[in-house]
Amino acid sequence: MPQVTGKKRKGILGAATLVFIIAGLYWGLVKAPPDAYQGDSQRIMYLHIPSILTAYLSFFLVFVGSCLYLWKREKRDDNLAHAAAEIGVLFTALTIIEGSIWGRPTWGVWWTWDARLTLTAILLLIFIGYLMLRALVEDESRAASSAAILGIIGFLDIPLIHMSVYWWRTLHQPPSILRPDKVPWENIHPELLTALAINFVAFVLLYFYLLSHRLRLSEMREEIKARRMN
Amino acid sequence: MRVTVHQLAKAYGYFWALRDLEIQVGGGERVALLGPNGAGKTTLLKLLAGLIYPTSGEIRLDGAPLTRQANAQRAAIGLLSPGEHLYDDLTARENLEFFTALYDRQRGPIRIDNAIEETLEAVGLGRWAGEYAGALSSGMKCRLSVAKWKLLSPKLLLLDEPYGVLDGGGVDLLESFLKAQSEQGSVVIIASHHVARVLDLCTRAMILEQGKLIFDETRREPWDSFARAFEAFMPGGKR
Amino acid sequence: MKLLQQTLLLLRKDLLLEMRRHESLMTMFFFGALLLFVFNFSFELTPARVSELAPGLLWLAFLFTGTLGLTQLFEGERGNHCLDALLMSPIDRGALFLAKTCFNIVLMGLVELVVMPLFWILFSLPSWQPLPALFLIVFLGNVGFCVLGTILAAVTLKARAREILLPLVLFPLMVPVILSTIRCMEALLRSGELGDALPWLRLLIGFDVIFLTVGILIFDWVVDV
Repeated sequence: MPQVTGKKRKGILGAATLVFIIAGLYWGLVKAPPDAYQGDSQRIMYLHIPSILTAYLSFFLVFVGSCLYLWKREKRDDNLAHAAAEIGVLFTALTIIEGSIWGRPTWGVWWTWDARLTLTAILLLIFIGYLMLRALVEDESRAASSAAILGIIGFLDIPLIHMSVYWWRTLHQPPSILRPDKVPWENIHPELLTALAINFVAFVLLYFYLLSHRLRLSEMREEIKARRMN
Repeated sequence: MRVTVHQLAKAYGYFWALRDLEIQVGGGERVALLGPNGAGKTTLLKLLAGLIYPTSGEIRLDGAPLTRQANAQRAAIGLLSPGEHLYDDLTARENLEFFTALYDRQRGPIRIDNAIEETLEAVGLGRWAGEYAGALSSGMKCRLSVAKWKLLSPKLLLLDEPYGVLDGGGVDLLESFLKAQSEQGSVVIIASHHVARVLDLCTRAMILEQGKLIFDETRREPWDSFARAFEAFMPGGKR
Repeated sequence: MKLLQQTLLLLRKDLLLEMRRHESLMTMFFFGALLLFVFNFSFELTPARVSELAPGLLWLAFLFTGTLGLTQLFEGERGNHCLDALLMSPIDRGALFLAKTCFNIVLMGLVELVVMPLFWILFSLPSWQPLPALFLIVFLGNVGFCVLGTILAAVTLKARAREILLPLVLFPLMVPVILSTIRCMEALLRSGELGDALPWLRLLIGFDVIFLTVGILIFDWVVDV
């Protein structure tokens, strides 16, 4: 985990994020052609897919932070897990809202229990459970260990949840599934892919930008605590 | 058994329960751990028992650090806290059977059964062997704890305020048990407010105040000079 | 094997205490039976529909009774700080995990052995034949539930509002178990054999094995500060 808490590095990260977001918006809204069947409403995919991928990235970071914390007991790793979870909740909620917005013109409803939305909802619940656990356990170091256990178990469970929800929603097919979006990548318009790629990078940068600020917040809290104790 | 405590500190949130502790205790010593309420005595005992973990510093038993995974080391540690660590809904005998099995003190079913019966007799609980531990008075429960640790024979024996609930007979029982343990090379550490009683029994005295060790002396004969040096340090002059 | 010996010792102790105190089993049993009663008023359980809804309803009942058992799982150790006594002893933490998990599985199993036939009687299901196979599936589901549940019960032991926190963190993680058991039960009720539902059974067993292993390895860290 690179130390991006230095002010200068944060500034560069922030600037890069801004550039990519603007580029992503441009590509997504202007340059890429509208979808043959869905028209312009398909454009929300440029936000939706990167944000769910970032949410999964987030959980991976929670997992890494949790493992490292249980192994080495360094506060820094616990901070990483906590920060990643908080921002992960944000991106997951965002994904659900985007999915819902896309769903309305496409299916006529605000919500449906299709595989993707259901999975995202489950991920959101797991994140929320994680944060609630941290909030409700009294002693700080116990909160950290408890959360780390939950983070590890949650992460290990996600592939199983993934499989079970997708199987459930594709009843009659034998499961050969990890990505049932069955999108034939070869036939996709290159502009579409470019837009997707740019937006993905934009989201990841945004994520790390927010993460670095959140980590700085943890550091400041630690500093205050250290001073109060001495 | 040799207990070494190095730079030990324990914090709860913003509060330092213990700071900068340096202690070395060898086998055969009986240590009186004294100090006012909130000084950190129970915290120290729990750290030595491996129930809680230090914020910084380390504890070593016979040179080996006491870690989270220290299962084998735990077999040699005992904490006697009156009223605690016994199942109310198991009989006195069942409690002892359970704990001896837990600590793997079986050396053949017949021998351990005999040992349990003998120990119960020795602590005066012969008649109450089949009673639920919850039905015993606090003094009898404490005797049951003594029976338990007699059977388990730990190399490091920690006691948290044992004197409050015991009657005269119980106290004699406890003290002869502790003397026997230390003669076998165990380290005995007793936290207590009954200063006179515990000083009589012990070979060394430590005083904790606000988490720091302010007095640590091995008993010198004659008793009077030790007592005077000791009183000078004792907060509030308890005697 | 040392681990097995210690597990059995702890399990024996827990079962003995439960037999004397009747705390968990009675409350779980009555709660389960009560839920069946409530179902009758909440759903139109005609003979046609009841076979369809049975797996879901039963699992709902078992999830809640199981959670009840979980919240009380460490109650026996709270009196006199007995959990400390166990943690101070040289036993493997994994044995503590296995013992508590098995204990809850036994409790849930006993409740199910009564509640399922009761369901059959109350709602006049056509055939008793699938019951043994259904028990087996439910048992496998219990294993998954109790394994994760024990870990999370231990982790939330000192948390505030733990009666609601435990289900909150546990249920989303239980999705694979819930889906697998219900799919398998549906297949059994529909055709008397698993057939298409076989992959679900494999998923369920996989889940059980994975988290049983994870639990044994990780329990060291679970009960520590």
